[in-house]
Amino acid sequence: MKMKALLMATLCFVAVAGTSLATAEKDTAALPEPAGDAAPAKQYESFGDTQIVDMEPVKHMFSHKSHVVTAGLTCDSCHPSLFERKWGAAKAKGDYNMASLEAGKYCGACHDGSTAFNTTGPETCKLCHGSDMKQPEVIVFNRPVKGVVFSHKEHVDMGLDCASCHDSAFEMRKGAAEETPGKFTMRAFYAGKYCGVCHNGNIAFAANTRCTTCHIGVKGLEKMSSKAAADEKKH
Amino acid sequence: MNIKELEKLTNEGVDNLPSLERRTFLRAGLVITGLFMGGTVLSLTSARNVEGAVGSMPKDEKYPYKPHYSMVMRQNLCVDCERCMEACVRTNHVPSYGWRTKILERARNIGPGQKETIFMPVLCNQCNEPPCVRVCPTVATYKDKTTGIVMMESKKCIGCKTCMAACPYNARYFNEETRAVDKCNFCWDTRLTKGMKDTACVEACPADVRVFGDLSDPNSEVYKLVHQPETTVWVLRPETGALPNVFYMNVTLDI
Repeated sequence: MKMKALLMATLCFVAVAGTSLATAEKDTAALPEPAGDAAPAKQYESFGDTQIVDMEPVKHMFSHKSHVVTAGLTCDSCHPSLFERKWGAAKAKGDYNMASLEAGKYCGACHDGSTAFNTTGPETCKLCHGSDMKQPEVIVFNRPVKGVVFSHKEHVDMGLDCASCHDSAFEMRKGAAEETPGKFTMRAFYAGKYCGVCHNGNIAFAANTRCTTCHIGVKGLEKMSSKAAADEKKH
Repeated sequence: MNIKELEKLTNEGVDNLPSLERRTFLRAGLVITGLFMGGTVLSLTSARNVEGAVGSMPKDEKYPYKPHYSMVMRQNLCVDCERCMEACVRTNHVPSYGWRTKILERARNIGPGQKETIFMPVLCNQCNEPPCVRVCPTVATYKDKTTGIVMMESKKCIGCKTCMAACPYNARYFNEETRAVDKCNFCWDTRLTKGMKDTACVEACPADVRVFGDLSDPNSEVYKLVHQPETTVWVLRPETGALPNVFYMNVTLDI
């Protein structure tokens, strides 16, 4: 009985310590979303935040989820040989920069162009150094037609990860698709491009149905922004 | 009747009024406005054949005008991008407070906790029996004898706005600059008379919601769309008996 109580107490302590540590990490990193809380998969429990966003030396982002869950790496693939299991440890060493990555240190151990994408090509920069490092909740498209929304949050919440859409279907940059309005059309969707990768009637509802789900229109946008303004006022 | 003396009387209220008396009074009011006879508020005569909710398809052997201009809205394709409104404003110099065409919005339940939005483009229905023309005291608005378009002669308009109240489609507005009521005329002066075949809104629509043409021509697209027994075609507010010339339908989008 006494043993059991002691065990419980220890477990509780570990749990509390873990949470506070996680909170501290979040504060320093200014994480946009506490991700992975509701995820049922067991792997999620083995590491902290699925997304690590760091502001120094330059803004960059690392996704635990895509390395552990998608790529199937284990903890000892990177810890402690490449990264100490401690927030900010790599930064403290002073040589955590692109040059050392290129020399095969840190991320560069795998990201050499053969095991994983390289760290030198201009096309791979934005995979870690995205435009604003924040996952947007809703993306509004006004080209080629006005009043179209995409709920980024809803799609992430249903279990998709970055690589599901980026950069094969969409470049990981806000407004990138709108820059070529002539290509970003419903007809392209029907041909399996952009949203049409999934929205084909098999994986998700077909792009030629339920128009107003995404096309909320100018009126829909107005409502959305006035609702957002009202929410802002409340808080 | 001396109003000053009447004012001195105490108000009896309606509590003790016999219901027959009340009913008689209401009936008198209804008869006068014509509502009781199925007419509209502004008519002193009863409306002619009131059509059912989906009816109102042209029954006459011939369409009364040549060309009989008409528009078909393939409603479920509308996504409220409002390019039609922008094009109309540009083409017909519509002020910011006015409108010739609008998009209405409504929600429809499609399942438990599920809703869909329906966008409905509206404009002047160029009715065969236009209530606005019937009430205009100066004949400033009239039905064009050739095309069937409901036209405005703004010089004759005295700005009484009766037509605005009479229109079942809220398709008229008062233009402060011209001091006259303005409305859609299927781009008659701005495009059709200049040789163009479509209205500005039709040309601007990226989803091909709007189809414009001559309903009296069996080879026109509008004729073919409207005359499909297997498709439900409807008009807005058929109960007014205005016999509108803007038809609505939903289509399946082939890819």
